[in-house]
Amino acid sequence: MVQGFHQNLEQQQAPAFFARGPSPFARLVFFAALSLTLIATDSRLQYLATVRENLMVLLHPLQLIANAPSQLYQFTNEYFSTHHRLLNENEQLKKQALKQDVALQQLNMLILENANLRDLLQTNQTLVESTALAEILHVGRDPFTKKIIVNRGSNHEVSAGAAVVDAAGVIGQVTRTYPSTSEVTLITDKSLAIPIQVERNGLRAIAFGHGRDNTLDLPYLPANVDIKRGDKLVTSGIDGVYPVGLAVATVTDIKVSPGSPFAQIVCEPTGGIEKHRQVLLVRTPQVDIVNNNTPSQTSGKKNNAEKTQPQTLKQPKQQQNSTKPQPDNANKPHA
Amino acid sequence: MHNSQLKFIYLSLLFAFICLLVPWSGIALSLRPDFMLLVIIYWLLRAPNQCNVGTAWFVGLLVDLATGGVFGQYALAYTVTTFVAVVYQRRLVLFNNTQQLVYVFLLLVLSQIVLLVLKTFAGNEWLGWAYFLPSITGILIWQLAVMLGLNTGKHSRG
Repeated sequence: MVQGFHQNLEQQQAPAFFARGPSPFARLVFFAALSLTLIATDSRLQYLATVRENLMVLLHPLQLIANAPSQLYQFTNEYFSTHHRLLNENEQLKKQALKQDVALQQLNMLILENANLRDLLQTNQTLVESTALAEILHVGRDPFTKKIIVNRGSNHEVSAGAAVVDAAGVIGQVTRTYPSTSEVTLITDKSLAIPIQVERNGLRAIAFGHGRDNTLDLPYLPANVDIKRGDKLVTSGIDGVYPVGLAVATVTDIKVSPGSPFAQIVCEPTGGIEKHRQVLLVRTPQVDIVNNNTPSQTSGKKNNAEKTQPQTLKQPKQQQNSTKPQPDNANKPHA
Repeated sequence: MHNSQLKFIYLSLLFAFICLLVPWSGIALSLRPDFMLLVIIYWLLRAPNQCNVGTAWFVGLLVDLATGGVFGQYALAYTVTTFVAVVYQRRLVLFNNTQQLVYVFLLLVLSQIVLLVLKTFAGNEWLGWAYFLPSITGILIWQLAVMLGLNTGKHSRG
């Protein structure tokens, strides 16, 4: 009888207040294991890239809603901007346009001259990059990385790897594309490296993002390297990603410690996301650029150019628009 | 009653998610509280039967998607945090306002620490103490919500 009563108690369900399904610890273990698996899968294998892309499409309407207030604010701000300010801006822009017009006239001449010289040297023509204007939607939400989201995506034929520049210089590189937006990793991000050249003496190096501050580092250069404070760094173009000669950064600090064989060089990027809303996505055509000599390169390359000169006389203006590597063509007369 | 509560949970989560998606930048970005986690902690206290570790995991996954980071980071941080919250849930509802604030603050810091550990493993650097500012703004928002009449304490008898 007593036993039966006990059985009755055991069969009785727990009151609703205590009914909570699996214990919290079991849930913790299960979901933590699931998260760790996801982390491993996403960071080591590339399976989840398409999943992410598709989910971002679903997220897009929400993003539009979230952007609405700030866009409305901007719109009204522009709409009610004062007459005086507009006049000022107009005047400034006219002055700027005039200056740039003059510069452009000279540029046209220089382009022609450059093309002629390149013909004479029989080097490859400089590649014409395709560009697209994009607007910065928002800054990346992850405090650990330096990223921005722009409003052009794979629907607008933007692909990962395109360089991103603004009026003042290089900003970064497209690292992920979604249908209507794409993610740009800034040059100050720790994971991004950019091949540069010192404008003053043509010294080539690779700049790495610092990650924490908005600066770039030039590591692995000897302590006696010829770099001064205030030196301007431009893209060297040997990577095939960034067009040649865009401003990247200015050297702000050089430290040489007796204990280290390397100089510690800190640079400040020229372009900035704080300054502009519009950026330019530049896509360099993918060709073999190993032999694409640039005029600003140093003496070693000049010898190369002298060697090719006699051949130019033999076969003038035949490979004008050839994008093939130059030595293939140049070697033919010898063979 | 339960259905309407579930609707409220989803609506509030959606609202928090839109708050997260707002284009924050500069100082506002470094001060931005973790809206999603705050909402989840609130519902954990009020309706532990409907909002649990699993919910937090899914929400964390959404946040991962929005931040563009590796999948699973926020999911793990939220899972651990909600586990601690659930374990102490019955005690928590009996706390007075100040005790509750301290507790919520510790939960927010815990989630940030888990995230920090994961990010450090991935090769990121320590960002300085300013990294924990969102926890402080988080409890400020919590307190604001309490002052505006949000019932975070004992269950209402309705």
